[in-house]
Amino acid sequence: MNHEPRQPHIPQNLTRREVLFRAGGGFGALALAYLQAQEAVADTLQRPHFAPKAKSVIWCFMEGGPSHIDLFDPKPALQRLAGQPLPPSYGRPITAMGTAENALLPSKRTFKQHGQSGIWVSDWYPHIAEHVDNYTVLRSCWADGLNHVGAVGQMNTGAILSGRPSLGSWVQYGLGAANNNLPTFVVLLDEREPIGGPKNWSSGFLPAAYQGTQFRPDGNPILALKPPSTIGEAQQRSKLDFLTEINRKYSKTRSDDTELEARIRAYELAFQMQSAAPTAMDISKEPDSVKKLYGLDSPATERFGKNCLMARRLVERGVRFVQLYCGTGSQWDAHSDIEGNHAKMCRISDKPVAGLISDLKQRGMLEETLVIWGGEFGRTPMTEGTNGRDHNPWGFTVFMAGGGVKGGQVIGSTDEVGLRAEERPIHIHDLHATILHLMGLNHRQLTYHHDGREERATVNGGNVVKEVFV
Amino acid sequence: MRRIFPYTALLSLLLLAVRGNAQTVKGDLSTRALAILRENCVSCHGAQKMSGLDLRSRSGAVAGGKRGVALVLGSPEKSRLFRFVAGLEKTQMPPAKPLSSAQIATLKTWIQSGAKWDDKGKIEGTFWSFRPVVRPAVPRKPFANPIDSFLTAKLEQKGLSLSPPADKRTLLRRAYFDILGLPPTPEEVQSFLADTPPKAFENVVDRLLASPHYGERWARHWLDVARYAESNGFKTDEKRPNAWRYRDYVIEALNSDKPYDRFIKEQIAGDELYPQDLSARIATGFCSHWPDESNAQDLRQRRQDILNDLTDTLGATVLGLTVGCAKCHDHKYDPIPQKDYFRLQAFFAGVRPREDLVLLSSNQHTDWQRQQADWEGKTSSIRTQLATLEEPVRKRFFESRKGRFPKEVQEAIETVPAKRTSLQWLLYHKALPQLEMTEGDVASGVNSEKAEVKSRWKELRKQLDSFRNLKPDPLPLGQGITDVGAEVPKTFLLAGGLMNKPLEEVQPGFLSTITTESPQISAPNNESSGRRTALANWLASPQNPLTARVIVNRVWQGHFGRGIVGTPSDFGQTGERPTHPELLDWLTSEFIRNGWSLKKLHRLILTSKAYQQSADYNPKAAKADSENRLLWRFRRQRMTGEVLRDTLLSVSGELSLQRGGESVMPPLPADVTTRGYWKDSTNPKESNRRSIYIFVKRNLRFPLFEAFDMPDTHEACARRQVTITPLQSLLLMNEATMLQTARTFAERVLRETENDPKAQIERAYQLAFQRSPDVDEHYRALRFLTKQAEIAEQRLQANEKIFVPQTLPQGVNKAQGAALIDFCHVLMNTNEFVYVE
Repeated sequence: MNHEPRQPHIPQNLTRREVLFRAGGGFGALALAYLQAQEAVADTLQRPHFAPKAKSVIWCFMEGGPSHIDLFDPKPALQRLAGQPLPPSYGRPITAMGTAENALLPSKRTFKQHGQSGIWVSDWYPHIAEHVDNYTVLRSCWADGLNHVGAVGQMNTGAILSGRPSLGSWVQYGLGAANNNLPTFVVLLDEREPIGGPKNWSSGFLPAAYQGTQFRPDGNPILALKPPSTIGEAQQRSKLDFLTEINRKYSKTRSDDTELEARIRAYELAFQMQSAAPTAMDISKEPDSVKKLYGLDSPATERFGKNCLMARRLVERGVRFVQLYCGTGSQWDAHSDIEGNHAKMCRISDKPVAGLISDLKQRGMLEETLVIWGGEFGRTPMTEGTNGRDHNPWGFTVFMAGGGVKGGQVIGSTDEVGLRAEERPIHIHDLHATILHLMGLNHRQLTYHHDGREERATVNGGNVVKEVFV
Repeated sequence: MRRIFPYTALLSLLLLAVRGNAQTVKGDLSTRALAILRENCVSCHGAQKMSGLDLRSRSGAVAGGKRGVALVLGSPEKSRLFRFVAGLEKTQMPPAKPLSSAQIATLKTWIQSGAKWDDKGKIEGTFWSFRPVVRPAVPRKPFANPIDSFLTAKLEQKGLSLSPPADKRTLLRRAYFDILGLPPTPEEVQSFLADTPPKAFENVVDRLLASPHYGERWARHWLDVARYAESNGFKTDEKRPNAWRYRDYVIEALNSDKPYDRFIKEQIAGDELYPQDLSARIATGFCSHWPDESNAQDLRQRRQDILNDLTDTLGATVLGLTVGCAKCHDHKYDPIPQKDYFRLQAFFAGVRPREDLVLLSSNQHTDWQRQQADWEGKTSSIRTQLATLEEPVRKRFFESRKGRFPKEVQEAIETVPAKRTSLQWLLYHKALPQLEMTEGDVASGVNSEKAEVKSRWKELRKQLDSFRNLKPDPLPLGQGITDVGAEVPKTFLLAGGLMNKPLEEVQPGFLSTITTESPQISAPNNESSGRRTALANWLASPQNPLTARVIVNRVWQGHFGRGIVGTPSDFGQTGERPTHPELLDWLTSEFIRNGWSLKKLHRLILTSKAYQQSADYNPKAAKADSENRLLWRFRRQRMTGEVLRDTLLSVSGELSLQRGGESVMPPLPADVTTRGYWKDSTNPKESNRRSIYIFVKRNLRFPLFEAFDMPDTHEACARRQVTITPLQSLLLMNEATMLQTARTFAERVLRETENDPKAQIERAYQLAFQRSPDVDEHYRALRFLTKQAEIAEQRLQANEKIFVPQTLPQGVNKAQGAALIDFCHVLMNTNEFVYVE
């Protein structure tokens, strides 16, 4: 098999037609489908750089910053140093709430080793702990954003300042669509928007077609997916037919313009989407055993569990990138009462994430689905007030499962108190490079010419964390 | 392992085929070799001495640069000059576009034969966009408008010519959408068709350019490159309550044909140059549209981010250069050393964002102050008592907020004013909004005080309120910038662009590749450094090779959908070369000669045959120039989301043409939630205003515009993309406001016609396309109306709700009314509707 390379650079002389090709790779896959038939060149546009290990990503985003030192990164030293200030050797970080001088707060959790691999997980995550032999736990992640908006933004787009494309957009740009009736990059929210809103799934400087599509759990999953109920189905179909008729006539003397044809197809696809999207989101026919697995039988886990189940259904249908938020609007942000806050947030997320992994496993889908768990940063070992923790972008934990990830291993570590990544630091760019690699994309080759630069998802940095899959 | 074929190599192969053709330099070996160096190398390895290498002379080449000897006579393999261009070393040079194999061979032979160098003088080479604008002679062609002569000269080389004129209806539509962003009415088309040539179109052009709606249309082009938005971005995305004044400033500047040089000067340094001119103060808003994080703690980093935004935006928007690439290292492709980046940045070192620019004349302001003093005098005792009560609350708040900042910011806050450095002042001003309590903060703070404090406070507030009628109205304020003072913080070259890695100090300076002249800076008073004045004067000078060329190209792009340079904010190596360099220079010199008048430039372009030619396909021409770079026909263009919305409202008769003022928030599609941020304008007069007046929120683009490729407002956008997506179709086909527009459109058709389907079809076509349907279209439309009425009738029978006009004239039943809405709605969705030819 001899794959031609996909074009890593946008040719400089971007023409209208080229713009269209690229647009076609995104939500508007139809344009591509049509043009592919006509123009062989389009065929070389969307290809992985090498054989992918993962076909899809489901990213469980714990928004607000879960505390790594209370979940995956036990720190006995904190018990010893409890109540004392951070030893001077640590320096004084600039913190979000000015907590650098505060006393160290030990974890109240009980940690246990789990599975064959003996990976440590605290008692807040009993179900998630059951699958540790599938995980690579990255204990040495670090980021640049001190505040939520920058940090959430960076976890999604690689930069704390806005304007760059989301990782899902890059994946879409690199790989195109696997299902023409559904968007390729879907965002599922639980209650409201995450901090920063839609710019977290924005296509940035990539064409608009690559932006993530927010699916709403209730009603119409996609904005304006269906007309109001006063418009009947036969009526709508007839309108579309008439529209096509008029457009075809208009095209007759303009047959050279593929953009006009693409627009005709866009309406057809939109119509197909009207049934495809709700079907994907309809979990009513899922057996009770599956619903239970995700925790749909309990009020605490129902909401996020439903989203996890939908994520599986979307991935099953070829959606490549699902950004799945838990605790939108910074609900993990335990500046005070870490015990109360995290007990609740962990209860909400434990069973659904574990259920998702079990379900994918049972269906043989886990091998090709990369599941990621993590927040935008971790939390400080220093206390905030008497019982909270501040933001910690210098060291925190993310875990990955499936999608070619080696199971049962821990990579990297933080320092003795869990403040900073120490051994094998993994920056967000490294994380992104690794995710792209698992999807068959070389982050150095996946570029887009913008304002005189070949821009990439990893900005200027990024090294693939090979230990994750080798 | 699968071998990855390097695409860049492929790209260069493709490119050299073109370049090889175009470039056949005559002359002996030495002349040819030196020409290659001049054209390709010395813009960086000349006066700029990038990597320490100066290829302007043989001795310079032999001496080499940081990497070592560049030229070993007789031995290409040992000469770095050859090794780099041949791709034997990383990175192949020139980095943007490698040489052709023929050129590489020439250099090889030349070095082998001893690299004969015409030693009479150094070779100098300047990249096209950095060369001074020289007015070229107009090619001798039988055209009145030089644009046509220039274009035809190029077309003829390929055996092509301009297309025949577009038909008059198409031309009028084109002009309306282009100049006003609005469709002509059927009546306007009729009267134009009746008007006799040749002056008819020129009259239209003059009329449209004089319309106030021209500014509303063309302001959007400028706002795209000005990264204009009315909110902060980041987490809370707070409103910027006075940002809209800048939008109105741009509209007004365009409508009054403010000379572009003055337009630039006002935006860069209006506060220093024209302190008495309120609109020039608003113009400085250009320098304040950066995204901002209101709760940032590391304020020195924030300041650095803002300075970077200003430098990058200035480079892209005014100079058309990717200056931002030189932030972390010397520019990889253009002769812009990293030092130049920070020299440019130094012009902005004193910039202090202001949201408190008082927009009153000094007399008015004195009056206001008198009133305010009166109120203050009468309430002084109440306010003193309030202050005493609130003091502990305020102090607690202040201390806790102050505590969040890093040390240097805390120090800036604590330092007594007389001792604050200019940097401390900037940090202090930036910290202030976080330290100040809002009324709500005070109220909730007092709430946690003792009961007697609370009740006393409430009582005092009540008393204070009773003097409200004496208080003057809040001052009209503008958003813009000033300097922090005559003294400004030092600027340093930052290693890797990192704030905490300062290297040497740099002084303000222009791009060294354009001029070696040093800026003449003098502080106009104690409040300003005068730095931006020097920058503005340099930018707006006729000698600056970029400013005028860049705007002329943007205007050309606005009319033709593509610039003479296809990358309007990148006039550097990685950007495109002009398709018609002589035309660009001629237009630029004409533009400067005409006093930088944009309207005269528009008029020149609009009255050309090139602008008025048809958009029809021509297979022969397409074979020679498939991308229509040479403009053998007019380009069909899809409407922007903004124009589309204005057109829909105009066709349905709902558009409100009220001009200027605060932005409006038309209802968003159901399901889009903003948690109270977006306050729907319910009055149709407000919500149906032109798109330019819709509030621009950074974290939420207006959904229709976003779907139709409105750029992200976090950075300047030079050219909008055109994408076709099903999301666009869904919005136009299903979204409730679109259906309502279709209904209003149908109601208008019913109102304006006799009760006769044929007349309705005719009127709908006229309103949507300003033409009559042909026989076939009439037939199809009638058939559709009948079918839709039948479907609607069945739905009525089944007791289903259907969507009908609010009032039905006699003789039109509900089902027929519903069918007409469907018909109008389909017309709104057609390609003919959204494309302008």
